[in-house]
Amino acid sequence: MRSHSRRIASMTAVLAAGALALAGCAKGGGGGAPQSAGGASQKPLENKAVSAISVGTAADSTGPAPEVAGAKPGGTAYMIDRDDFSHLDPGRVYLNYNSSVSSLFTRQLTNYKEDDAGNIKLVGDLATDTGTTTDGGKTWKFTLKDGLKWQDGTPITSADIKYSFERLFADFITEGPDYAETWLVPDAKKPFRDQYKGPYDGKELDTIETPDDKTVVFHLNAEHPDFNFTVAMTGYGAVPKAQDTKQKYDKQPFSSGPYKIVSHITDKSLDLERNENWDPKTDPIRHAYPDKFHMEFGLQSQQTTERFMADTGNDKQAFTFHNPVAPERTQEVLNDSELMKRSLQGLTPFTTFYNINTKRITDVNVRKAIITAWPSKQIQQLQGGEISIGKIATTVMSPTVLGYEAFDLYNKLAKPEGDPEAAKALLAKSGDPNPTVVYAYNQTPVQEKVTVAIKEALGKAGFKVVGKPLNAGTYYDAIGPVDNKYDIYWGGWAADWPTGSTAIQPQYDGRLIADNAPNYTHLNLPEINDAIDKANAIADATEAGKAWAAIDRQIMDQAAIVPEFYQTYFGLYGSGLGGVKFDPITGEQSALGIYVK
Amino acid sequence: MTSYLVRRVAGALVILMIISAITFYLFYAVPRDPARAFCGKICQPETLTLIRHNLGMDEPLFVQYWHWLVGIFAGRQFVQFGDCPAPCLGYSFATQEPVFSAIVDRFPVTLSLTLGASVVILAFGILTGMIAAWKVGQPLDKIASSSSVIGASLQIYFVGPLLAFYLVDTLQLIPRPSYVPITENPLGWFTHLMLPWVVLSIIFTANYTRMTRSQMVEQLAEDYVRTARAKGMSSRSVFFRFAWRGAMIPILTIFGVDLATLLGGAIITEQTFSLHGIGELAVRAVQNTDLPMLLGVTIVGAAAIVLLNIAVDMLYAFIDPRVRLS
Repeated sequence: MRSHSRRIASMTAVLAAGALALAGCAKGGGGGAPQSAGGASQKPLENKAVSAISVGTAADSTGPAPEVAGAKPGGTAYMIDRDDFSHLDPGRVYLNYNSSVSSLFTRQLTNYKEDDAGNIKLVGDLATDTGTTTDGGKTWKFTLKDGLKWQDGTPITSADIKYSFERLFADFITEGPDYAETWLVPDAKKPFRDQYKGPYDGKELDTIETPDDKTVVFHLNAEHPDFNFTVAMTGYGAVPKAQDTKQKYDKQPFSSGPYKIVSHITDKSLDLERNENWDPKTDPIRHAYPDKFHMEFGLQSQQTTERFMADTGNDKQAFTFHNPVAPERTQEVLNDSELMKRSLQGLTPFTTFYNINTKRITDVNVRKAIITAWPSKQIQQLQGGEISIGKIATTVMSPTVLGYEAFDLYNKLAKPEGDPEAAKALLAKSGDPNPTVVYAYNQTPVQEKVTVAIKEALGKAGFKVVGKPLNAGTYYDAIGPVDNKYDIYWGGWAADWPTGSTAIQPQYDGRLIADNAPNYTHLNLPEINDAIDKANAIADATEAGKAWAAIDRQIMDQAAIVPEFYQTYFGLYGSGLGGVKFDPITGEQSALGIYVK
Repeated sequence: MTSYLVRRVAGALVILMIISAITFYLFYAVPRDPARAFCGKICQPETLTLIRHNLGMDEPLFVQYWHWLVGIFAGRQFVQFGDCPAPCLGYSFATQEPVFSAIVDRFPVTLSLTLGASVVILAFGILTGMIAAWKVGQPLDKIASSSSVIGASLQIYFVGPLLAFYLVDTLQLIPRPSYVPITENPLGWFTHLMLPWVVLSIIFTANYTRMTRSQMVEQLAEDYVRTARAKGMSSRSVFFRFAWRGAMIPILTIFGVDLATLLGGAIITEQTFSLHGIGELAVRAVQNTDLPMLLGVTIVGAAAIVLLNIAVDMLYAFIDPRVRLS
């Protein structure tokens, strides 16, 4: 489940990532006129391909961030969205939505910087660079920048960073990532909380050293050359010991970033104002143009879309982190060149797919027939077309992951509606021309329609599909057990950082199969497990990327999933804001460069 | 009177306890593990076990329910969330906030929405109903009756966005509906809730118009009205001094139920106008299978119905002298 990559992640060379499509914002009516109201007939807006992801230098890590053209300080920016942020304590943040807002007041050792061309660089955030390792990634040293302060003006020290990692072992911090915790205890195979219980009883974690106020050294239990990517996760953000209110910290975190929280009314609003103790010279990625942010929750996509379209009052200065354009309004937006000027789109890190339970459907030809007959196009149409839901996927890895290679083993791009004749031929090879498959799905109106399309398409190939509707609230409880009684069920995934290790290993390493674990296909093949180990052992990131792409091909050759979509984002914002960008790392709108016109 | 009240309140508490127990047990019939919501994307089994312990879910069901009951009076301590002072209804599984404070925070919104709408509903509903009864069979009666049918046929989720589109977005005559505390800005409170009040009352007023009209017509045909008229009282006096009292009893009964239902959450109105009240809380609790919040909202709704029923029963005595409480 854990990455054992041996890549030397401190390299500075730009790493070509093939058709990496960490899509930048494509403003300005690139879509053209749709031909009809049907999603599939929309002329898709191009998701501008980004060519590279790299590890930046110390120079890349220095602030201030390059000025946004035309930006000016002042004013209040408004954010309207569906949900409140479920967690703000960095240790409890995993959702990208929570990360998006946390970037305004929580800083990590490293972070991602995007240039105007859409290229992504890992850079030092609190650290002067992306960290150094001399032993292949087992020991990592980070040096903090000068001038770093908490919101009360006290300096951010290496002791704070050590404490921030120690508190992740506390029994109430369960929601965030646990990569570092597992790597920082002596035995990675034993539960990490059995080996250290956090700092609240006065004990420290020996594997983190702070030789001085500026230096923090991590001693990991194995080589993890991409540990500097790991610590870019918001889950490893800084928390000051003096301000740690334990469980209550989740509602009122202490700021190390450009804004601080002045009010948080659960499910209603969050207000931020400028943190005067944040020094832009220390920060290579954040701006702080607006004086304040006012965030309001409880608005469905339809409501935010209508408000952005109406563009009145404070909504002129409003954006949304997450809410996309409501599917029923997509055509209207696409047809309005003025609205398109303030639209954003791009590929998110998320991929969706249909797991094929390889423990139940053991014949690979039957699995291949399922993919071949699958009605990808109809499913896309039912969910609003490419712009609303995503591009039809043909691989395990997303184009946003380093090393992604485009391939299409089952001819899905040429025949996205399904190829029943080719599927019949595959079934003939399997010896069972009319297999019965149990398809479990979320019982929502859209999924009911999708199920009808699946039954129809697979039926043409000879399958008998038995639909098993599941309650949306208990869906994962139903598909989680290894001995579940379903053959095909939907899933989604996003890599925790943009390399192949977290994109592939948690889901397809057969040694990690367990109830409720991410390996929902229950694929367990020695050749794939071995290939994962070998990919993790490759030091060169480009070569490792190729190895992960090869594993991607192996998995698809085993037909373990029906890839569904590389998820796309299409959103609006108000006319009174500038500098609103799509963030390809979170797949949401970014607040870091926003200014009030 | 006092003993009547004590008996009714004691009965109400028993009812609320039964409702809470049923809700608690029914929730656990759902095949879902709430602990998963607190576990990271790659959820380790030992973390799941820890969370179940943190939430007190590793105890037998009756023990969990007992802890919940005790928490209302004595407060509780949760590893996952921290202190939960009395009256503790637990912490929301979805938002990790204390259920009681979540309800208290949102109650002013629902109360404002309910009371404001009630004033409009009663004023217009009873007034138009009485006019219709006064002018029974005449054009005014027909206008009032047909308007009420139209009003009753409309839906909040249709009228709400439509009026908001014209009055808020297009003409910009009134501000976008939201909740402004009356203590901070009474005028803002009024103007921001005006549209939800009107929309809610369009639907409800129709019922009260029709009910008042039929009740008044019925009362005007009663013997005591004929007697009063025979004794020489004017129609106006009979209408406004006597007949309305008899008509109000069933209206008050229905109003008590409607008021309690609205206090339990005007779900569609709150959703339509993005008002963060009890109704919105209830919808989210159901969507998230959030037991503590579901239980809290259910208890509040049930308490509103039970207590308002008691209040309505007591009001009967004031409106109609024939009613005696015992």
